[in-house]
Amino acid sequence: MFLTRLKSGKIITGAESGIIGAALILVILFTLSSDSFLTQYNLFNLTRTQSLYIFVALSQAVMLATGNMNLSVGAIAGLTAVIFGYSVDTLDLGWPLALLIALGVALLAGAFNGFVMTVLGVNSFIVSLSTLFIFTGFVYGISEGYSYREIPADFVRIGRGNFLGLPYLFYLMVGTLIAVWYMFRYTVFGRQVLATGSNLEAAKLSGINTGRIIMGANLLSAFFAGVGGLLWVSRLGSAQPAIGQNWLLISFAVAIIGGTALAGGRITAIGLFCGGLIMVLIKNGLILVQANVYFEQAFLGSIILLTILLDRAREVWSRKAGKS
Amino acid sequence: MKLIAKLVTGAALSAMTIVSAAAEDARYAWYASTVHPYFDEVQKGVDKFSEDFGVEVTKRLGQDWTQDNQNENVAAMAAQGFNAFSIFPSDVSGARGLYEELAEQGVTIVDFGQATKEPTPAAFYVGTQLKEAAMLATEELIKSMGGKGNIINVLEVPGDNTRLRQEGVEEVVAKYPDVKIIQTVGDLSSIEDSVEKVQNAIAANLGNIDGMIATGYTPTVAIAQLLTEYHENGGERIHFYGIDTDAVVLDAIRAGHIDGTMAQNPFGHGYIPMVLLKKLSEGYKPREGVHSIDAGVVPVTADNIDTYQADISALTKNIIDNLDSKYLTN
Repeated sequence: MFLTRLKSGKIITGAESGIIGAALILVILFTLSSDSFLTQYNLFNLTRTQSLYIFVALSQAVMLATGNMNLSVGAIAGLTAVIFGYSVDTLDLGWPLALLIALGVALLAGAFNGFVMTVLGVNSFIVSLSTLFIFTGFVYGISEGYSYREIPADFVRIGRGNFLGLPYLFYLMVGTLIAVWYMFRYTVFGRQVLATGSNLEAAKLSGINTGRIIMGANLLSAFFAGVGGLLWVSRLGSAQPAIGQNWLLISFAVAIIGGTALAGGRITAIGLFCGGLIMVLIKNGLILVQANVYFEQAFLGSIILLTILLDRAREVWSRKAGKS
Repeated sequence: MKLIAKLVTGAALSAMTIVSAAAEDARYAWYASTVHPYFDEVQKGVDKFSEDFGVEVTKRLGQDWTQDNQNENVAAMAAQGFNAFSIFPSDVSGARGLYEELAEQGVTIVDFGQATKEPTPAAFYVGTQLKEAAMLATEELIKSMGGKGNIINVLEVPGDNTRLRQEGVEEVVAKYPDVKIIQTVGDLSSIEDSVEKVQNAIAANLGNIDGMIATGYTPTVAIAQLLTEYHENGGERIHFYGIDTDAVVLDAIRAGHIDGTMAQNPFGHGYIPMVLLKKLSEGYKPREGVHSIDAGVVPVTADNIDTYQADISALTKNIIDNLDSKYLTN
């Protein structure tokens, strides 16, 4: 049954196969070039970082799918982390309650973004650029730059523990991606998100409440950013106000490498999985080959660009092959 | 003769009046880039100066780490009449333009925390001698490794200061034939980057690492957490020295997961520049060839983790006691 669906392209599409191929090539390349690559320690950390990247990417990809963007994803993650740290460390609340409060604040942040975008009709770039500063201001206003260290051991175990040699975060990521895949493929909301991103006017004429859809995407984006922030707290064992500061580039890069369309209307869970994998592999590989630290960003950018170009070239070739 | 004596006396009195007016007219300001635990510690030194000397100091923090932001804020403060500044330059090269403009308006500046590139209009720099601190940390690390083994050198963001720290580490390692830097990791601007790159470096050199050194704040915090997890999970011992005394780092030292860190003297970075500014406004001048004042560092290990603050305070007191004899002239 599964194989039939796989062969028919219902599970893996042509676009996804290109990204999977790129990820596989990198895996083979690093396996052959370094003895350290397949060690338990490296695989554990690679999959853990990949899992964190996926939540970062999801927070951007759901917005990109609607044809919008969210520049404040890192600030929302930082805010969630700080609220959680403040709740457990300063207020001495239990971590489940603190988690709910922190995620509640993340959703409020997303709702605020969504409100200004949909009700006041302001462009998502401008809204999220502004709230990037607002939320960052709250992060440092609340924490005054200090980290919160009294993070309960049970919560830290989520980010550090493993099952069958793979981090808990990996299973959480796989479960989330399956849910995302199901949502965009089989639910009304998911299909309406893609329709809104493909053609806003056509979606409106089809009777889709696009405002509600964009609000929903903002809430989802903030939720994923908040979860990502909390998972970083769990992984670090402290709530650092600096969490989320470098998310902007990663959120776009992983989402786009993973096949999410910048113009909206396309998102793929398998693509995101491979996008995250490609990103961690490239960064891992640069360390393994001892790339010059002063040129590292140039190497990273070049490899990302090359990966995307190869994938786009594959798309063009397959389109031509289809015509002929 | 009497006329000459009168003229000399008159000139001296006039000069004293001018100096006194300058001291009275001095309006003190302290400026740092943005919110950071280091600046909180520095402000304690500034507050103590205000308390000790009964002098009001206006403190401002900027909105981010960029030089542009600093230029706007400091220029606005100068326009309000502040004329004696203690500044943490956001960009050690880029701050020069701002300083030149301020100097043209008669503003006196003392750098703290990091030094603007020379030649600079800043009268003094008070802070850690980055290269020397890196060298001291490396010596301590090699000592903890028993004088031999492989090191990973972890740098922060590329720049002049990072280059100095890298040179410091490499110079010390070059003195020890049995010590080798097996990998240099850098461009670590965020906690996430630091964690990812350092764990990649550990994976790439697994079983072959005896020590790690970090000369920047962010990687130090990240590595303290990373090595805590690594050692708790049964990983073989990796020695580590970092910089600064973030609570996360001190926790890791107490628990025995890392060996030590270099405590800077942020109180002194706050207190000493303000005393210098006051003295300069009273007519003192920097001694010829003196610009940089080393506020000192103290290695913190499990042995002195509860007492190192006293050593830091002693450093500040020693510098203040010797200001007139070593750094200033009347």
